[in-house]
Amino acid sequence: MLRLVRSEWMKLRRTVIWIVAAASPLLAGVVGYAGTRGTDGEGAEWMSALALMAALHAMLFLPLLTGVFAALLCRFEHAGGGWKQLLALPVSRTQLFAVKYMYVMFLLLLTQLLFLAALLGVGAALGFQGPVPWLAILRSVGGGWVACLPLAALQLGVSTALPSFAAPLAVNVVLTMPNLLVMNSSTYGPYYPWAQPLLAMIPMEGHGMAAINLSATTLFGVILGSFVVFLTAGWAYFMRKPV
Amino acid sequence: MLARILSAEFLKIRGKMLWFLAVLGPLGVAGLQGLNYGLRYDYLMNLYQDDPWGGLIRDVSALTLPTLFIGLAILASMAAGIEHQTNAWKQTLALPVPKTAVFAAKALLNVLLLFVSSTLLAVMTIALGATLGFDLGDIPYGDLLQTLYYPFFAALPFMVLQVWLSVTLANQAVPLTVGIIGMIVAMFGSRFDDWVPYKWPHLLNGAGEPLYSVLAGAALGVVLLLAGMAQFARKDVS
Repeated sequence: MLRLVRSEWMKLRRTVIWIVAAASPLLAGVVGYAGTRGTDGEGAEWMSALALMAALHAMLFLPLLTGVFAALLCRFEHAGGGWKQLLALPVSRTQLFAVKYMYVMFLLLLTQLLFLAALLGVGAALGFQGPVPWLAILRSVGGGWVACLPLAALQLGVSTALPSFAAPLAVNVVLTMPNLLVMNSSTYGPYYPWAQPLLAMIPMEGHGMAAINLSATTLFGVILGSFVVFLTAGWAYFMRKPV
Repeated sequence: MLARILSAEFLKIRGKMLWFLAVLGPLGVAGLQGLNYGLRYDYLMNLYQDDPWGGLIRDVSALTLPTLFIGLAILASMAAGIEHQTNAWKQTLALPVPKTAVFAAKALLNVLLLFVSSTLLAVMTIALGATLGFDLGDIPYGDLLQTLYYPFFAALPFMVLQVWLSVTLANQAVPLTVGIIGMIVAMFGSRFDDWVPYKWPHLLNGAGEPLYSVLAGAALGVVLLLAGMAQFARKDVS
């Protein structure tokens, strides 16, 4: 297992993945800075910056990024018979799938930490008043990460199946675009897995989006349920994947 | 020459899901709005009671812009991916065809596929309105065609840019991430100054004349195409 982790790391480390991981936090940072500057937050500056940046980051970028990471993890295997080579080695498919999944989640964790850094950077640059609301911020950043668990599982499954880099992303886009409508609906929003990163990242109080005032139980029920389904399906496919 | 290379491009994308995606894009937009109208029919009909077609066209176009931006990035990447994946650039460019024409054909392929998508969206919007029971005699054809085709032309620079990135860079994660950024920036494009290309597909400008945005997009698209052709012609093939 540890050797698999090391071999995946070797494939990853000298790639553009690090720039890709920083793209969304950077964009959110710029918009957060421009959007909060000059507004009178009256002590709620942290929360309004978080809400603005989280909306930008988690509505489309974070779910789509999950697909980019998953496709990147399978890129080398799809090129030039890599699957044959890798699976001919004495490695278990289950372990390989698990390690690749762990890397997708690790890259998402990195993205979320960079987002946290961007938010703190905006706060420091604009000199926000009042204490940093650590609990709300960490709940948002961590919640967004947890909400990506099922999406990453599905995308990894699709990425192992489709050889083209853009094809799994197309699947991802088709499933993520409904967010644009679903996020405004308190009836359907809580049940749509691709809307969960946004719902989990927007701070709970205020900021008038309909679907956010929901119990953590509902959110995590949907997230956990789809996580189990997608992971099982992806893993079951990978075990039978012809190479 | 260009026509023959283009027909080769159309051969290459057979069975590669590009046509499927070109149909799926407009179908997804119309389908989502269909769902939206189906679920909230009474509310939306009340909201748009004076002008149901106008309301529908506005709703469709709100989804069209992000779909167009991510769609052009995905199509560009898939078309370039055919060569990247099979390491076929050397073979393609070893043929007795000018490199500039190869690049132009890739760009033109993307533009044509998206043109088909935009046309399909117009048809599907009318079909959706008809299904919802709107009066077919009232279809504002001028508005409809403007709303769907103007952003298409204004987005030409981005189609060429994505083809350029996808063809030049072997790792498709980069062009696709640029495409995702483009989609998100474009969604907030109406806030920018007039000179920012991301604003043009919104058809908003100081003069209040949508055609200016269209012309700016078409002009920059041609400039980028020529620049891309010039750069691609000098590029070494690995």
